[in-house]
Amino acid sequence: MNIFFHELKAYRKSTIIWSVSLVLIIALFMSFYPAFAKDAESFQKIMEGYPEAIRNAIGFNLGNFFTILGFYCFPLSFITLCGAIQGMNLGTSIVSKEVREKTADFLLTKPVTRTAVLTSKLMAAFASIVMTNIVYLAVTILITLQIKTADFSLKVLIMLSLTMFFIQLIFLALGMMISVIVPKIKSVLTVSLTTVFAFYFLGMFSSTTGEEAKRYISPFKYFDTAYIIKHAGYESSFLIVGAVSIVLAITASYFVYLKKDIHAV
Amino acid sequence: MNVIEINNLTKMYGKSRGITDISFHVEEGEIFGFIGPNGAGKSTTIRTLLSLIYPTSGSATIFGKDCVQFAPEIKKEIGYLPSEVFYYDNMKVKDLLKYSASFYKKDCSKRIKELAEIMDLDLNKKIDDLSLGNKKKVGIVQGLLHQPKLIILDEPTSGLDPLMQQKFFELLEEENKKGATILFSSHILSEVQRLCNRVAIIKEGKIVTVEKISTLQENNYKKFKVETKIPLESNYFNINGVNNLEIKENSTSFLFRGNINAIMKKLADIELVNLWIEEPDLEEIFLHYYEKEA
Repeated sequence: MNIFFHELKAYRKSTIIWSVSLVLIIALFMSFYPAFAKDAESFQKIMEGYPEAIRNAIGFNLGNFFTILGFYCFPLSFITLCGAIQGMNLGTSIVSKEVREKTADFLLTKPVTRTAVLTSKLMAAFASIVMTNIVYLAVTILITLQIKTADFSLKVLIMLSLTMFFIQLIFLALGMMISVIVPKIKSVLTVSLTTVFAFYFLGMFSSTTGEEAKRYISPFKYFDTAYIIKHAGYESSFLIVGAVSIVLAITASYFVYLKKDIHAV
Repeated sequence: MNVIEINNLTKMYGKSRGITDISFHVEEGEIFGFIGPNGAGKSTTIRTLLSLIYPTSGSATIFGKDCVQFAPEIKKEIGYLPSEVFYYDNMKVKDLLKYSASFYKKDCSKRIKELAEIMDLDLNKKIDDLSLGNKKKVGIVQGLLHQPKLIILDEPTSGLDPLMQQKFFELLEEENKKGATILFSSHILSEVQRLCNRVAIIKEGKIVTVEKISTLQENNYKKFKVETKIPLESNYFNINGVNNLEIKENSTSFLFRGNINAIMKKLADIELVNLWIEEPDLEEIFLHYYEKEA
């Protein structure tokens, strides 16, 4: 438990910064909604003029864009992108931080198993993500309740918001796997931004063609907001793929880390 | 009882050599020196013992238990000080030591205070603000705070000033008297000479010899230097056991190994101004081993 608390303390600052940033972004976007709802009709006409491919790419859906939930989906795609970066950052730094700051020797000459080290660190990163999500979700619900013009389903709002959490977990696992496999990562941010944006753009391009199978390529497309609003549920096939990739990445990380040589600096 | 037993330990880094077929043991209660030049494989051996890296073949036991299989259990009783110390920079010394102590299921706060006092270490500073030498002190306290039964030191004196080195050695000797076994790796021979009972010499990944420090010195050459009024004939010391004869005008120096009486008779026959007979220091023995092998 001591490693867990030590790591959690180390993440404290970053958790606060990420939570506050996400909250500020969502507050800013949602503050446009009241004005937006007023001009709904004329705006709808403009958007109809855009090709469908582009509307798909930015996640714009004509049918429900002007409900508060539909509007929320728009900043949400941006929020999940940020969240993914946070998840990836945390994952990538789990092992690479010890290598870069050369503290791996300190930790691994203590009477603990490598499994315990990795588990504690993973749990601390997980806790940081959970806390970010709790703050984000609470503030989002509060804001939405404040600015709503008509009643909406709170359950769907929560379900939409949780897509960020799931995507974060996928990237956390992916980042952890990368940090275990790559011998030395000089800059976490470079690795995580590259990976996250690569998947983000992959997702954008794959959605322009509308082919269902291509959605499996990018975690950003695992959660179709229009589907969630319509059915008040997730698409189970994508949930399974997400869960399986998380389990695989984490298992692979443990497998590699337990066998790995920790080299002198 | 052997605290450390290393059997035919080999570690390859891909195709390049780490250590090859290393075997030696360290007995309980001894201070064992491990010397060799940089890159000879000292750290590789130590890191294998600590299961930071895994052996390619062969095995090692510590306290009679396999060092890979029982690593976490063994490490409860090991204190390790690496040659370069790195800690979480934004932590205070005090917090780092507390964190370190939290891994051992005993109360170490008293010992931390004692050690910090001996090593003259300010516990309230941030690690980031410490000089190299002071970081090293943190390392020393960190390695000793849980009163380990086995202390493993990998070139521990770099960065310490002579005064601190002295204090550190005294500390080690004290721990040794209390029963701790010490494995001391170094390339500085005078340190090893000062502290250790036995020593293993490693070269290019292989153990050259394991000897008692005293035997190393006994079995070897004595250094002679004589000063005479008139230069000696160059073949005067032409007897068995004389080596490296050097004559510079009135002073003659050579290494001698053999019956000491023979050489004393020779010396008695000449008019001496001055005479030095010295034990060779480890440095010379060491060089001797290296030259012989080369």
